[in-house]
Amino acid sequence: MDALYHDEKNKISTLLYSIIQHNSNQQVQEWLQQQKSKLEETNATQRFYGTFTAIPRFTGKNIIPDTTIPEFFIHGYTLDRLARMWWLLQLPTESKDQYVQTIEGLFGAADMNEQIALYGALPLLAWPEEWRLRTAEGIRSNIGPVLEAIMLHNPYPAAYLEEPAWNQLVMKAIFTDKPVHLITGLDKRANRKLADTLRDYAHERWAAGRTVNPLLWRLIGPFIDEVSFPDIVRVWHSENSVERDAATLACASSTYAPALELVKEEISTLSWDSVAARIA
Amino acid sequence: MCCSHELTEKNLQPLTVNPAFLERIKGMRFFDPHIHMTSRTTDDYQAMADAGIAAIIEPSFWLGQPRTGIDTFRDYFNSLIGWERFRASQFGIKHYTTIGLNSKEANNEKLAEAVMEILPLFIYKEGVVGIGEIGFDDQTPAEEKYYRAQLELAKEAGLPVQIHTPHRDKKKGTQRSMDIAMEHGLDPRMVIVDHNNEETVQEVLDRGFWAAFTIYPFTKMGNERMVEVVKQYGSERIMINSAADWGISDPLAVPKTAALMHESGIDLNDIHLVTFRNAISAFAQSGQINESDFEAVKEIDQSLKFNGSTVLRGGQQPRRDNLSNIIK
Repeated sequence: MDALYHDEKNKISTLLYSIIQHNSNQQVQEWLQQQKSKLEETNATQRFYGTFTAIPRFTGKNIIPDTTIPEFFIHGYTLDRLARMWWLLQLPTESKDQYVQTIEGLFGAADMNEQIALYGALPLLAWPEEWRLRTAEGIRSNIGPVLEAIMLHNPYPAAYLEEPAWNQLVMKAIFTDKPVHLITGLDKRANRKLADTLRDYAHERWAAGRTVNPLLWRLIGPFIDEVSFPDIVRVWHSENSVERDAATLACASSTYAPALELVKEEISTLSWDSVAARIA
Repeated sequence: MCCSHELTEKNLQPLTVNPAFLERIKGMRFFDPHIHMTSRTTDDYQAMADAGIAAIIEPSFWLGQPRTGIDTFRDYFNSLIGWERFRASQFGIKHYTTIGLNSKEANNEKLAEAVMEILPLFIYKEGVVGIGEIGFDDQTPAEEKYYRAQLELAKEAGLPVQIHTPHRDKKKGTQRSMDIAMEHGLDPRMVIVDHNNEETVQEVLDRGFWAAFTIYPFTKMGNERMVEVVKQYGSERIMINSAADWGISDPLAVPKTAALMHESGIDLNDIHLVTFRNAISAFAQSGQINESDFEAVKEIDQSLKFNGSTVLRGGQQPRRDNLSNIIK
């Protein structure tokens, strides 16, 4: 791996370890350091796997206060998850084949908490382009917390997923009632194809007599045209004030003149975050 | 929560008509240390939660037909620590597992070797409370070989062992299982001998092992017989389970038997030991059971799945109305 990644990796590793230090006792830190030096001595895959799996037995699962490190929001983490993330950064990156094979091996036998730690750490793994298929596979999971580790506060998918996989991620988040506003890069990766699919989905929901997540209109807003505009008008006339706000915000983000005209008198104190807060 | 599930308080209420046995055990909590949920439905999980089952152990077993490759074993073990555990949590039930190569499939030696190779990947996972269920079926040399190998594995990992005793030639098979465990230097307190009956219990207890009884209609113990066993042998080191699986079995065997014991005048403390506490004492020797998780599984799941909706309480799934012919 290139020198830039190497420097960056060491910096984040140090940062993570300092957070671990603030949230653990001497015994835990000694154990982690011991594992690290044993790994450096032997460079054995079994050692790397064994430690990764055993981490919660030694660290416990205290909740870590929310904190931000570059590119990364540590939110609702437990100590074992943070320690596993740190441990992943101790894996040597000299050989690409060996590195990828070792990480894939972890995914292959991971329990739920291990999957959460692994998918949450995607942005920190070396050779980021190698994890696209793995991430797409993760999005097929039916386990809510695993999906959340991929979807929420995770910069990897927006940075590396191809459009079809990205669209699956967003659709699945909406299908499974995830707080979509916490998806990193949501607006940046908005695209017409996704907007069209979500509009079809809204029609299905209406046909079944069900409601539509108001945040869905955030992804349709920038692509409003004469075809989709009637849908927005319908939502804008909703009895539900959250839906009306969502329609207003969607129009405000569009380039379609009639949509802008429709909401020109609305006061701009609305935000998608406030919509999200009201439906939570 | 916003859209996919529009639920009202009514959707979450248990059915209004409770069977009499549920009234008798109201407020009691149960631990079923042997049940194969992989083969059961969500209706069972709901009924189990309603009947007070707080936690379960799902041992690795034979799925009804032999596996032909190592990957299906790997996926099975993965599902026990992954998907099945999550599925249980959605009903507020804490799910543990024991990992092992069952006796039937030990007879496919080539495959058995491959399974032995991957076992170390799984036995140290969180929530793995033992090696199991292992032991004898036909009592072949291959079964003995892998039983022994797995006893060594358990010893090395400091994990309890959950022994399946054979249906045929049970008494001798049970004795032989205990002899071999002693030969390998296992502490009998780390060994749970399962599927006991009136013929085997005395020796199992005398030799210091835990004695588990499976309440399983027609082929194993009935619960009236179980009441008599507890009357005769008391509650020390005795536990009951359902071993419910793909056969005609009953996932409510533990709470139903508790109700029957109560009706038969067995002391509440004895019922508590046999249907909850003893199993925890035995399997918590793995260091992997934390009783506060029984409550936590309910709350954690609520926040994870339902994002703090006011309607949904403790880890509940939307409740299907069994009495209505309308499906919403």
